[in-house]
Amino acid sequence: MSTLTIGKLAMLADVSTDTLRYYEREGLIAPSSKSAGGYRLYDENAARRVRFIKQAQHCGFTLAEIRDLLAVRARDSACCGDVRKIAMEKKLQLENKIRLMKTMSQVLDRLITDCIEETHPVDECPILTALEHANGTNPHHES
Amino acid sequence: MKVELFYTPGCARCAAAHDGLKTTAEQTIDGLVWRELNILEEIDYAVGLGVLTVPAIAIDGELVFSALPTTHQLRAELMRRIVKEA
Repeated sequence: MSTLTIGKLAMLADVSTDTLRYYEREGLIAPSSKSAGGYRLYDENAARRVRFIKQAQHCGFTLAEIRDLLAVRARDSACCGDVRKIAMEKKLQLENKIRLMKTMSQVLDRLITDCIEETHPVDECPILTALEHANGTNPHHES
Repeated sequence: MKVELFYTPGCARCAAAHDGLKTTAEQTIDGLVWRELNILEEIDYAVGLGVLTVPAIAIDGELVFSALPTTHQLRAELMRRIVKEA
């Protein structure tokens, strides 16, 4: 099996060498051997693994979650259901985040509606006042 | 009292535990409402309750267990609520 230097692997997987070292520190990849000069050498599967990591990051998985996914993939007794459970929980996290962001967007809508007088000085700005007093209630809506 | 168990279809561990938990709940609560919810079909409701892991159990619309409890833990929680309501 041929080996790759860190530079070649970085080029193949379209990441920087710093990223590969970071992945290594996070326990996501490891060189298969070292050259006589002490340089990291990777096997052919490393590029596939790095692409998997990048793709999973794009899907919103954290590096810790990706480590779990890789561990599941490597485990002989693992089945598709194990991966599905991780994916399902990721979806729940994303849906939760979407809900929070929608709520935040609605709060901003309310603040924007409150701020109808564009010529008011900044120290009378209802948006800044509301954010200053942000503790779950909007002072303009308290009565 | 209403007990809702959120599960993912195909989860063998969930399926194995369902019956024991349901029996425990039925033995503890008179007039129990027991629901088993496929999280894929009820995701909005689950997210609304704060479910982030599956399986999970909500009691009377409140997320109580974010992992499957033992039958002993479920019984203890139900008993605590009965006492609180009395």
